[in-house]
Amino acid sequence: MTKTDRHTGTTDVVRLTDVRKDFGDYAALDGVSLTIGAGEAVAVMGPSGSGKSTLLNLVSGLDRPSSGSVVVGGQDLGGLDEKGLALFRRRTIGVVFQFFNLLDDLPALDNIALAGQLSGLKASAARERGLELMGELGIADRRDVYPAALSGGERQRVATARALMNRPALLLADEPTGALDSRSGEQVMQLLADLNELGQTLLIVTHDPRLAAQCARRVVEVADGRIARDRSTAVAR
Amino acid sequence: MSAVLRAARAAVARRRLQTFVLGVVVLVSSAMVVATLGLLAAVSGPFDQVYAAAKGAHVVAEFDAARVTPEQLTRAAHTPGVSAVAGPYPEAVLHQAAMTGERPIGLAGALTVVGRDRTDTPVDVLKLSAGRWATAVGEIVLDLPPGLGPLLITTDRHLTTPDGTDLKVVGYTDSASRSAGGWVTPEQARALHAGSWQMMYRFHRAGSEAELRESTAAATTGLPEHAMTGVSSYLAIKAALAKGPGTYVPFLTVFGVLGLLVSVLIVGNVVSGAVVSGFRHIGILKALGFTPNQVTAVYLLMVTAPAAAGCALGAVVGGVVGKRLVRQAFWGISGGQLVRDGAGIPGWAYPVVLLGMPALAVLSALLPALRARRLPAAVAVSAGGAPRTGRGLAVQRWLSGSRLPRAVSLGLGWPFARPGRTALTLSTVVLGVTTVTLALGLSASVVGYGRSQQQTDVIQVQAQVGNAQWDPTPATHTDEQLMALLRAMPGTAHVRADAPLETRSPGSSEVVQVGVQLGDSEALHPDLVRGRWTAGPGEAVVSGEYWRQHRVSLGQTIVLTDADGRAVPEKVVGETSGGWDVTSVEWDRFVKLSAGRRAMTFSVQLTPGTDPAAYAAAAGRLDPGLRASVNGGADTMEKVIISVVSTLTLLLIIVSALGVFNTVVLGTRERRKDLGMLKSIGMTPRQVVAMVVTAMTALGALGGLAGVPLGMLAHRIVIPATGRSTGIDLPASLLHVWRWQVVLPTLLAGAVIAALGAYLPARGAAKTPVAEVLRTE
Repeated sequence: MTKTDRHTGTTDVVRLTDVRKDFGDYAALDGVSLTIGAGEAVAVMGPSGSGKSTLLNLVSGLDRPSSGSVVVGGQDLGGLDEKGLALFRRRTIGVVFQFFNLLDDLPALDNIALAGQLSGLKASAARERGLELMGELGIADRRDVYPAALSGGERQRVATARALMNRPALLLADEPTGALDSRSGEQVMQLLADLNELGQTLLIVTHDPRLAAQCARRVVEVADGRIARDRSTAVAR
Repeated sequence: MSAVLRAARAAVARRRLQTFVLGVVVLVSSAMVVATLGLLAAVSGPFDQVYAAAKGAHVVAEFDAARVTPEQLTRAAHTPGVSAVAGPYPEAVLHQAAMTGERPIGLAGALTVVGRDRTDTPVDVLKLSAGRWATAVGEIVLDLPPGLGPLLITTDRHLTTPDGTDLKVVGYTDSASRSAGGWVTPEQARALHAGSWQMMYRFHRAGSEAELRESTAAATTGLPEHAMTGVSSYLAIKAALAKGPGTYVPFLTVFGVLGLLVSVLIVGNVVSGAVVSGFRHIGILKALGFTPNQVTAVYLLMVTAPAAAGCALGAVVGGVVGKRLVRQAFWGISGGQLVRDGAGIPGWAYPVVLLGMPALAVLSALLPALRARRLPAAVAVSAGGAPRTGRGLAVQRWLSGSRLPRAVSLGLGWPFARPGRTALTLSTVVLGVTTVTLALGLSASVVGYGRSQQQTDVIQVQAQVGNAQWDPTPATHTDEQLMALLRAMPGTAHVRADAPLETRSPGSSEVVQVGVQLGDSEALHPDLVRGRWTAGPGEAVVSGEYWRQHRVSLGQTIVLTDADGRAVPEKVVGETSGGWDVTSVEWDRFVKLSAGRRAMTFSVQLTPGTDPAAYAAAAGRLDPGLRASVNGGADTMEKVIISVVSTLTLLLIIVSALGVFNTVVLGTRERRKDLGMLKSIGMTPRQVVAMVVTAMTALGALGGLAGVPLGMLAHRIVIPATGRSTGIDLPASLLHVWRWQVVLPTLLAGAVIAALGAYLPARGAAKTPVAEVLRTE
């Protein structure tokens, strides 16, 4: 089923064309072209050093390609300056990291609300939206708990809620279960699958075949900076 | 190379910026400490040694040549209490000696001339600053007044005595004992009708006036009654010498203490930060097999190396700057050359600083290093990885719910996360602001003092009178004619003529500087500390210094010698804070002692609305020898004090800003991941800068609120202390310098210092490579 991206009205959320990324003499990505449609859930897999994290950084605007074009949510990232990229990250994408990256000094709700406040939402509105997300993600009772007192799974849910705060066109997840025990990992996988079920476009970078199998309908395998395989997969729900 | 050294070197190399900041802070602090110690030592210490080295006279005495013979004087001086004696030398006093060739040096008036055949006498060794000693009749060496700087024998300068004897100036010197105004050969002195013998004594006991009186009495035992006609003590010279630098002592002490406090805080801050941010490194060292003692040694070495390098360089810089400050501080003070030549940075200051500053750095590092020593390897390795328990939570929560832009509210909450470091940084800013406030207050007071001395609020135009004795374009009108011409000019409210000169009190060899005035003296008089202005002949006003030195009181009569050598009794009716020793309006009796025997300047008060510049230009056209200018501009002392204060303030601001810089560098380094995350969720580079600068500016603003009152308090202590140590009764108005135009910018000074220190690291934080930071774990 093909959906239309609500931000752009187009069907493609991500379009990478002949992208190359060099680190000195080393090409982390070499001639990668990839399109991700709205509502798709794509897992990028590959061994360490294959280039999958570089791919995610390029798509999230955290890094710039050496050549080729990266268009996400209808925006050509090559044409954006630092501020433009920041606004892009704020409005178009949400990122879930392996190690959560929560601010230790803020309780769970304020960590989530932070993304909304940066986008210009008033504190009360941001907290309201944060509580709504916490309820959806099953952690409403942890709103005033600080990251140090949360379990790994709870931290990742808080991080996911923060990523969803601004209703991003694309949710990126970088090894989202990598730092979790198996039970917490299961919970996060289920959460991502549910989000995709609700129409959220997903791009997941993972080593974990179970995560790929559970959350993604399409697996892109990267090796030596190139796309070695791009296949659809049956999603186990 | 041992493993400890290798690890310490690697740690230094890895923290290049931190090492650099530490080195620079220690450098600036050491330089400031060395310079301050040098100044304080020069002010408090060297006079006695330097005076002894110059074999300065404890007592210079004059004896009536008609009552006592040289043999009697020499015999009487052979007593156990006398350690050295010079003389008797024939002495003459020249009234109304005229100088030709160029503008005269110093004040004209009574000149004491002594006949001495050599410079290296057992007492009062003279060092020629230019030319040669007088070896023939017709030659004279002059004592160079302070503040003139080196004077060379470049032109043909002559001194003509009232009876027409011509003396060629062949050299200049600076007598430590101020024993005479000029020296000639003994034959020449006799030819000048020397009526006195001069004797100079150094005593074993000369610590007080009482001891000097006793020692002098012993050295003159057996001499005919009333043989001794005048005596002057070195304690007066010492007091006069201490007066100028005494201006600097109170504020230098305060600045020195502030500097040391700021340095201690910053070194502590830098070192603790370096150790705390190196916990992960400590864990790795321990995992590799370093013993706890070795770990401690690595951290202490890491800190000692830049501290020692900064300290060594700072000592050199401080030595150079300190010597310059000493030269500035003693410039223009009678006998100051002695101290300037003899005083530098005291030898003990260098080892104190070279050992003290690194020791301070090591002490500051010791606590965190011992913490590192006790830290289990596993905990140290995971430092930074595991979430910290949040701190300052209530504030953070309140801020996150506030209406402020989120970048700003995040920044405001930042200082609460590390309260210890925040307290150190805040203290640094507070001290920086205190310094700035004190400096502004001091400058305002100094300018105010200068204004009251120059009377810029009363006198708007001053006109110098060209003198026929040395000026190529002398005034063609008499003083009275010039006075009338000036009075007739449109815009003139009051006019006064001034003629400064030197005279003596009968029976004393001490020179008294007199300002004699003609015209509207009362209307143009300066602020009085007590009493009233002179109402006419027979009354005088004295300076605070003269008041103190001669313990005069209102109504007391002092006696001066006029141009004809006659005694002039003057009743003291008032005291001014500065100015000449004595101000008199007995123009006709004294003016002939002045250079050129006429007015040196005319001071004019203008009617409201008159343009001073236009008036000065018009006044200049009255007479080709009248050079009129607008009264104003800072004097030397003002400039020196303001430049010294500015230099010290600038150094303290730099050190304070470096302290903030270091805090921000540490903070952004520790929060690299947080910054990366914030950027990943859409924080713009400008918001990152705003967040970091806000954090420090908030601290700076707090520092301003605390530092301004502290600075004002310090000002309130320093100004009266300066008055006491300089022997000047300062008007209370010098304390009331705080106007909102001064206070408001000072309140912002803390925020500015903090913002300055924070901006660069904030820019660096804004450029944090997000992908790399977030990937690294």
